[in-house]
Amino acid sequence: MEILSEHFKSEHFLSKVDARVKLIVTLALLAMVLSYKGTMFPLLIAAVSIMLCMKMQIPVKVLAFRLAQPLFLALVILLLKIFFSGKDAMFVFSLPTSHFPLLTLTGYRDGLMEGLLISARILGGVSLLAAVGFATPFIEFMGALSWLSVPKPFIEIMMFAYRYLFVFLEDATTIYSAQKNRLGYTGIKKGLNSFGVLTGSLVLRGLEQSQKTADAMEQRGYTGDMPLLKGKPLSTLELAGALLIVIFGGAAWMI
Amino acid sequence: MKIRAQTKDRAQSTDYRTQTGKTAQIIWGLGSVFCALTSDAHAMHISEGILPFNWAALWFLVALPFVAYGIRRLKILSKTDLSIKPLVGLMAAIVFVISCMPIPVPTAGTCSHPGGTAIPAILVGPSISVLITAVALLIQALFLAHGGLSTWGADIVSMGVMGAFTGFAVFKLLRKLKAPLAVSAFFAGLLSDWAIYITTSVELAAGIRGDAPFLPLFTKILIAFVPTQLPLGILEGAMTAGMVSLLFKRRADLLVKLGVIKPEHAGGAA
Repeated sequence: MEILSEHFKSEHFLSKVDARVKLIVTLALLAMVLSYKGTMFPLLIAAVSIMLCMKMQIPVKVLAFRLAQPLFLALVILLLKIFFSGKDAMFVFSLPTSHFPLLTLTGYRDGLMEGLLISARILGGVSLLAAVGFATPFIEFMGALSWLSVPKPFIEIMMFAYRYLFVFLEDATTIYSAQKNRLGYTGIKKGLNSFGVLTGSLVLRGLEQSQKTADAMEQRGYTGDMPLLKGKPLSTLELAGALLIVIFGGAAWMI
Repeated sequence: MKIRAQTKDRAQSTDYRTQTGKTAQIIWGLGSVFCALTSDAHAMHISEGILPFNWAALWFLVALPFVAYGIRRLKILSKTDLSIKPLVGLMAAIVFVISCMPIPVPTAGTCSHPGGTAIPAILVGPSISVLITAVALLIQALFLAHGGLSTWGADIVSMGVMGAFTGFAVFKLLRKLKAPLAVSAFFAGLLSDWAIYITTSVELAAGIRGDAPFLPLFTKILIAFVPTQLPLGILEGAMTAGMVSLLFKRRADLLVKLGVIKPEHAGGAA
């Protein structure tokens, strides 16, 4: 699970910026990326975000892994749009058999343009989210969400989930290794059974652990509410910086 | 003259081969791309940026009342039971872990990942399950780039709302019809997975269609998901059945406490 952003946070120039500012700027830029009618703005955001990740010394392999799946989706959507959407034919490929075409694929120019637009949006959005994910520790995100008036129970559940995520990942790995050593995944039937037992064991541990956690918390004075850090007021400098980025982004969006 | 005709024939033949080769390459390429797309269960998560602004906003509006109701239910339950918040949080962590587990999919020849939303739906009910899914999806979007912030609403609707409510309804219906516990859980997992798959296809087709008609694109996306989602649904069903069976064998009291089975069933065959 070292792919989780938390493992790559270090002292860098963005770690000093308030998470609330980062979140506001991200949401504003994301809205611009999604509403832009061309490819230039999303690609610009992608380039800037990837450069920021490089500046934060995120390993290239990790960044590539993070972007691989969305980029693959972008490629699929591009192909879908080229061949199955549009009216202005650009090229035709047909696979002839003896006398009649078995399969004809027509590439459409307008489909290509729409596909490029969606692919650029995916690249821009994912890179932006990756950059902010790498730049912000989880707990600061929670503070920012609280400041944005996200309901407290939601944040509490997120904190519980994040706390136990790593415990369960380790448990799952241990159980899986033990099952594999006992040839639990040789054959479909055995594999299905082992997978069911693995899931069941995790759920069982989860149910038992939740009771233990609640008991332990109750003994330490838990009354059903977890206190959340109240962030200090945003500094004028940070707000001005955020406003400047949004204005620049807005200007680029309008161009 | 004859030589020229032969050269022309050869040239035509070469063109034909080149064209056929290109077509085959494209078909192979498309096939591989479809397989690769559908072989990754995070394909159930709609990636950041796929949906245009208006569709992203619409799915948010659809998801919002379900999440709000889940939070309301949680608030009410936590007034009388202090262990409910840790339970829901831990279930969210489990859904996160389950949806990261690789499962081999024989028909696609690769690995995929289950959705895992039927499990909390059976154990804690669909409304809290929506909340659990929303939390797991947000962590995945922020820290793993699976799904996204703008597509969070759409992902909640497909995985949380459709997945959880379908799984819960199927489980309850089959239990009412006196079906065995494992069989009910199997079909809950299976149909929950397929409901997620169909809803995701609707969301994708509506979001990326542009000026093209909805139905043909929806059908193509639906077909593209078939090689993975049909067997994955069966695997998810088996996983859900295995989970419920194990709980019944080891801690039937927990199933009684959560209201999954009646106390009189805890001792014998359910």
